[in-house]
Amino acid sequence: MNKKALLLGNEAIAGAIVAAGCQVATAYPGTPSSEILPAIAKRADELEAEMVVEWGANEKVAFEMAVTSTFAGARACCVMKHVGLNVAADPFMTTALYELKGGMLLVSSDDPGPHSSQNEQDSRFFAMFAKVPCLDPADAEEAAAMVADGYSLSERHGVVTMLRPTTRISHSRQALDLPSSRAPAPKLPVAFERNPARWCPLPAIVRTSHPRHNARLLRIQEEFEHDWGRYNFEVKAQKPARLGVIASGIAFASLCDVLVEQGREDVDILKIGTPFPLPVKMADEFVARHDRILVLEESYPVIELQLTNRTRVMGRSNGFVPEAGELLPEVVADLLARALGEEPEAPDAEFVSLMDELRLAPRKPTLCAGCPHRSSFLSIRRALPSAINPSDIGCYTLGINQKGIDTSICMGGAVTSSSGLYLAHKVSGQSRPVVATIGDSTFYHMGVPGLLSAVYNRHSFVLCILDNSSTAMTGGQSHPGLGEKPRKEDEGVAVDLIKLCHGCGVEFVEVVPAYDNAAGVDAVKRAWQHAEAERKPAVVIFRHPCMLLRPKQDVIPVTVDPDKCVGCRYCIDYFGCPGLSFDERTKKTSIDPNYCISCGACRAACPHGAILEEKR
Amino acid sequence: MQLIIAGIGGQGILFTSRVLGQMAIDRGRTVIGSEVHGMAQRGGSVISHFKVGDYKSSLVRRGQADILMAFDQTEGLRNLFYLKKGGVFLVNAGDEAVFQNTSLQKFLADRSIRTCRFAGHEILNQHMGGNYLFLNVLILGTAAGLGLEGFEKESVVQALRELAPPKHLESNLKVFDLGMTAARN
Ligand SMILES: Cc1ncc(C[n+]2csc(CCOP(=O)(O)OP(=O)(O)O)c2C)c(N)n1
Repeated sequence: MNKKALLLGNEAIAGAIVAAGCQVATAYPGTPSSEILPAIAKRADELEAEMVVEWGANEKVAFEMAVTSTFAGARACCVMKHVGLNVAADPFMTTALYELKGGMLLVSSDDPGPHSSQNEQDSRFFAMFAKVPCLDPADAEEAAAMVADGYSLSERHGVVTMLRPTTRISHSRQALDLPSSRAPAPKLPVAFERNPARWCPLPAIVRTSHPRHNARLLRIQEEFEHDWGRYNFEVKAQKPARLGVIASGIAFASLCDVLVEQGREDVDILKIGTPFPLPVKMADEFVARHDRILVLEESYPVIELQLTNRTRVMGRSNGFVPEAGELLPEVVADLLARALGEEPEAPDAEFVSLMDELRLAPRKPTLCAGCPHRSSFLSIRRALPSAINPSDIGCYTLGINQKGIDTSICMGGAVTSSSGLYLAHKVSGQSRPVVATIGDSTFYHMGVPGLLSAVYNRHSFVLCILDNSSTAMTGGQSHPGLGEKPRKEDEGVAVDLIKLCHGCGVEFVEVVPAYDNAAGVDAVKRAWQHAEAERKPAVVIFRHPCMLLRPKQDVIPVTVDPDKCVGCRYCIDYFGCPGLSFDERTKKTSIDPNYCISCGACRAACPHGAILEEKR
Repeated sequence: MQLIIAGIGGQGILFTSRVLGQMAIDRGRTVIGSEVHGMAQRGGSVISHFKVGDYKSSLVRRGQADILMAFDQTEGLRNLFYLKKGGVFLVNAGDEAVFQNTSLQKFLADRSIRTCRFAGHEILNQHMGGNYLFLNVLILGTAAGLGLEGFEKESVVQALRELAPPKHLESNLKVFDLGMTAARN
């Protein structure tokens, strides 16, 4: 019996994955996909499902674990965010051509906007690049339904199948059925059979597997033309249509709502749920029937570029539809009006001038009160003010508010940027301190190869690993340094961080408590001396648990001595805890009891000793 | 009914949309909404969209919201564009002075927006030992206090029973009543 529950889109996807009889589920966290794997584990526990659920150290690792389990016949899935697929691209591109034995669902969640990502890349293009089928849900219910159909497609054709939700699907909430049964296991028992011609992509083998794959893709496209009416269908206008809209994802859903709100009955819609391979005949025929065609999809023109005749098409490739950002309902309404040759709704001038007048301060994301990263940045900047500070992706990227970060690219980039910046100065005969920051989860994810390379090549820099015992940014998931695993009673092994650094060939590895400013400053200074003298990277590990883990720690209420506070704003500009506020009239800092958690860390931030423990 | 909940990451907004969702389910209504997770949850501006009825999209369009619930005054003002004419603006007001601004008063009057300001932090300081995590229940109480359809005390309480740990139930009920009283004043 199924029971309706108010589910997050990601929980609906997870429930469907367990219900589909998936046996091996892997992931590396990343917004907006992060909740899927924990929800799979929870559901698997509830149903006592025979299923392994694991975090990989990174997306390449996770993808390879899942896809190779299908070589033996297991039914598998791998979950990641869109940029995770860049990391997993190598195995993804190659196994795309394989004839897999078990079903393989890849969930790659995109983040148009972006809300919580470093770019807006469209995973559907990756599906097209790899030539694998892609399913693009318009809401959470459809996403869940696509899981079972995706597995069926994958198993019938032996092909990796991509499900591509976006933030608005993953983080939507809907009342949905959470299925409580599980599909039967694959017919063939799990057993690996030796067959190198199937599992080793030697060039001679690829010369036959690639054409075979191309033929398979045509068969899949035919299927999408005829048998996938549940996801590819037309919504006909009640009156003679003046416009045809091809729409997918949340843009389709928003379009439907806008049409109802505006009482419009003169627009035909072709809804597409399988953007690659596009059912081109269906789409071309729709285009041929309409004088005006608008294409609404997020975030790149994937459907649009597959249309045979684009001369009458208004879309993203010709700039009619904005080429970046989300297709929010107001954007959809605006595009609809313009596509129909009507006057779009004027911007609300009164609201704009009201905002100009009120001058509301923007609210930037900040590190939590008591966050150990804030203290680490204070120490790092103090130790070597002339240093270049490469950083990485995680909560600690918010160290930018403290002027503690100069560069950031992608996960693991802190280590390799340190190498690059070191080399640029070295080649021009200069030496400049480089002190980088990276989170613990990020270090395990992709920091290690960069560090090996830096030891090998003799690069001088200091790598500060900000170890908060958590993958905090994405919601506190486990990682190899912690050893916990998603399923109950499934225990892992914690990989020791210090030994790992030594194992990479780093000699100088020191651990300091993150709140201890004097120790941190001293360790970073000595680390740089070592790095410069020995021509080797040095590691300082700043340690203190993430505040979201609610660690037990000393309670140290603080106060500001107004006589000692000179109003220099140093504590605001270089520490910036939400628990500190600065009064522009009196030019003094004070403690904001609404935010202060009495960690005592800010005492180190005042150069004049004005922030003191409050004696009660 | 279309609703926007605006505030700052960490204020308990996600819980409010879960309560609203449960209430709608209990009444057999269809619901769809959209939440913010990730970066902005670290103290940034966050908004939840919430729609009860026959909708497909989880997003509210500008000018279409019936209710704007603001956990924070600045975040409420910033998102006023979502409200339709005759909409309801529930706001945890911190700074009275802003509401004396004549442009703001005119904006709200021109659109016949019904504004309910309540001093959430003050109320919670006075009655709940300064535990601001109760803001979400307080704001639900104000909606009930205004007599908004769908926010009847019984249905909110039932949803709280289903979603909140039983040990908090008594405090939640107390806060809910504080909200109701605040709205009536
Ligand atoms: C390739 C890739 N995968 C996943 C993410 C999502 N993501 C952003 S930061 C982060 C990890 C943060 O953990 P950690 O390094 O421990 O730093 P913390 O947030 O705890 O400070 C992840 C997984 C990403 N940006 N890129």
